[in-house]
Amino acid sequence: MNHEEFEHLAVARGPVPREPSTLSARSALLPGETNHKGDFLSLLKHAGIETGSALTPRDTGARGPVPHDIEIAHSTTVIAVRYRNGVMIAGDRRATAGTSVIYDKAEKVLQIDRHSVLAISGSPAIAYEIARILEHSFQYFRRSQLQELSLEGKLRMLSRLIRDNLAMALQGIGGVIPIFAIYDTKNNATTAAAPEPVTHERSTENGGKIFFYDALGAHFENVDFATTGSGSIWIRGVLRYLNRWGETRLEAMDERQATITILRLLDTASEYDAATSGYNAKAQIFPTVKTVTQDGVGTVSDEYLEECYAEDSTQ
Amino acid sequence: MRDEPYRWIEAIQDRRDYIEDQLRLGSPVVGLGYNEGMVMLTIGRGQRKIFEVHDRIALSAIGHPADIERLRMLVTDTASVQGFQNATEDVNLHRLTNFVLAHTFKQAFESIVGEAFIIKMLLAELGNAPEQNRWTLINYDGNVRTDTVASVLGGTEIIEERMKSYLANAPAQADLGLNAALQFGLETWAVGKELSLRDSEDPEDEPDIDAEQMRAIVDEALKDGEIEAGVLETTQRGASKFRLLSPVEIQAALEAWN
Repeated sequence: MNHEEFEHLAVARGPVPREPSTLSARSALLPGETNHKGDFLSLLKHAGIETGSALTPRDTGARGPVPHDIEIAHSTTVIAVRYRNGVMIAGDRRATAGTSVIYDKAEKVLQIDRHSVLAISGSPAIAYEIARILEHSFQYFRRSQLQELSLEGKLRMLSRLIRDNLAMALQGIGGVIPIFAIYDTKNNATTAAAPEPVTHERSTENGGKIFFYDALGAHFENVDFATTGSGSIWIRGVLRYLNRWGETRLEAMDERQATITILRLLDTASEYDAATSGYNAKAQIFPTVKTVTQDGVGTVSDEYLEECYAEDSTQ
Repeated sequence: MRDEPYRWIEAIQDRRDYIEDQLRLGSPVVGLGYNEGMVMLTIGRGQRKIFEVHDRIALSAIGHPADIERLRMLVTDTASVQGFQNATEDVNLHRLTNFVLAHTFKQAFESIVGEAFIIKMLLAELGNAPEQNRWTLINYDGNVRTDTVASVLGGTEIIEERMKSYLANAPAQADLGLNAALQFGLETWAVGKELSLRDSEDPEDEPDIDAEQMRAIVDEALKDGEIEAGVLETTQRGASKFRLLSPVEIQAALEAWN
């Protein structure tokens, strides 16, 4: 049977349906048509999925600032400091709308992959969507391209998402200013054997890195610390003071010292900023504190935080 | 086509023979559960064969590298889109197998004027408990076989049967550490490799090789190849449970294998 006969048979049999019935008609993907060079946003576009309506500027008829009767959840204090093992990053738990506290258990420090964390301030709806897209994008790149996205690639991806959100930020309802903390495993020469604590001397480099973004998506590396959110103005100067003249430089602190320092800073911010919560002893609500080290992202337990609070209050 | 069924069947049989001939010499893949998850291993020559698909799903395959790549991307893309559109917990092996892969394999195989996929695929899904772990093998014609404890990919059904009967001697999953699982996997791989080199279709042809010969087969393969192993690990931090084992871990398992 030659090729022409096969074609004849195929005609007799009718057209061969080539489209597989995938999980969803909107996400129909065909073998051989799915090479998106690891770009998750292109994959979603190909599958007919819009990346979070909030991230896509569209004509909703809204012009100028948001009407005063729409209350958007926002406000926060998040802090990141480089300490001896990498980066410690923390955020309070309060979400407010206007003068109302609408939630006291918000998670503002979100793990993105094994070695990176995003701390969000601003509109949670947008921030959570940015974090979700970021997480899926990093994973998709790793799974499809068989290698981790580079540090620069990750930073640019976040820039792109923040830039795409500019229209919402300009309307005053969707601004997001995150802190991105990452442990660069390519720069980890000293972390396997942690150095002894040193005071007033710069400790050897570890792979912990902190990046701060503006509303247009530009990123800047903060060498020692970063803080953002409505409460940050009350503690930025304290961080600078501690790092310059404190008994122990931030990056020489061990995990306990860094934890206590961060808890004190959040407590200070909550004292002056109504939109930042401190430690709620009655409800047992603690800030979220995560570490980003050579071993990956870890969460400091509530029990440990309670211990640190107890130790600090006796001093 | 309906008026010429014999010619269609003949064409399908020719296609089957052609694909099986292409798959026969493929380096086997062994998958088995151990006390902290599931491990897949093979010995290859530079072309990667074990892949992460989603948080708790991994894939390996034998066949033509271009077909492996196309279908790997299909399942990875579909899982990624579905995980984003709904939730990552909604992505599972059953749905990917039955609604995406098996259908695609079968359609390509039976479309006799189109290109067939020269491939056999093994997928692993890490459950929330060891008894929920799943191994799914998809044949080039879209047939699916599911196992819970262990599974293998070999060039022919006979090779797979022999490898599976060797795997049946493995200690209980709860008593099997990673190093022991790797050793057992390599022994099973050696059984499959030995059979693939024989020009025999005799189902009674037992490999009949001892541990020393298994080691010799592996050592021979390592002269121009390398062990590739990936695990879905319950102890892994975060949602993604897959990782490739490092050369150091593989070397440690080889050194312990005496």
